[in-house]
Amino acid sequence: MSARQPRFNQTVLLDTTPLPDSIPKVPEIGASSAPLLSASFFIGARCGAYNDDYMKCKTEAFGKGEVECMKEGRKVTRCAASVLDDINTNCLEEFRKHWQCLDNNNQQLWHCRRPEQLLNACVFDKLKLEKKIPGAPEDETPVHLRNRQIFSHNVSSFREPE
Amino acid sequence: MGVPFEALLPYAIMLSMFGITGAGLSKIRHMQNGGKRARHSIDQWDRQMMDRDRRLTGYLRGQTDKVTAPLGFELNNPWRTEKRFF
Repeated sequence: MSARQPRFNQTVLLDTTPLPDSIPKVPEIGASSAPLLSASFFIGARCGAYNDDYMKCKTEAFGKGEVECMKEGRKVTRCAASVLDDINTNCLEEFRKHWQCLDNNNQQLWHCRRPEQLLNACVFDKLKLEKKIPGAPEDETPVHLRNRQIFSHNVSSFREPE
Repeated sequence: MGVPFEALLPYAIMLSMFGITGAGLSKIRHMQNGGKRARHSIDQWDRQMMDRDRRLTGYLRGQTDKVTAPLGFELNNPWRTEKRFF
């Protein structure tokens, strides 16, 4: 009887057939959640156009866009991989400190502002990528540039001037 | 007149009991999470990302910052199924 809702918690099925050769192969991104979160604003700064294209394609496909949007998806993956590669070659130490701090703090960005300032300074120097929060109101200082902070695990009450 | 410390001893005992059990629980959670603080308020996005971390590194809280995924990563996302009985 097919009226019962399926419960998908008993077995798993691994399908190891690879994609057909007609689809160009792009290596998947190997960064896990904390480094990706740390690099996310820089990926957005460089790859904003490709990401918007992919999201537009998926939205317009109304749920059927897995195969149709693969071309935009490959562009997204390649661009994000290039940003991660640049950050790894240039700013590895600050990047590692920031994502290790994030991992220790429930992946909340507001606990880790001090390593984030160092990472932003390094990335802006070497890669010219700046972190901007999309949709933030223009007339207030953005949250990551404010001086005072309370309640976080690493309270930075006075920001040192850069 | 000194402080009547014998009267305050039970409070000291109670406080130390709370303190020891709290510290012990925190230490156990620390060890269970690979030397990091435990995650809280996890939503579906966080669960999905932690599942991806487990597929990438083998540990639920493991992290890497390599640019390309290890071989076989794109094929190890399972379809979750159930056994039907007829």
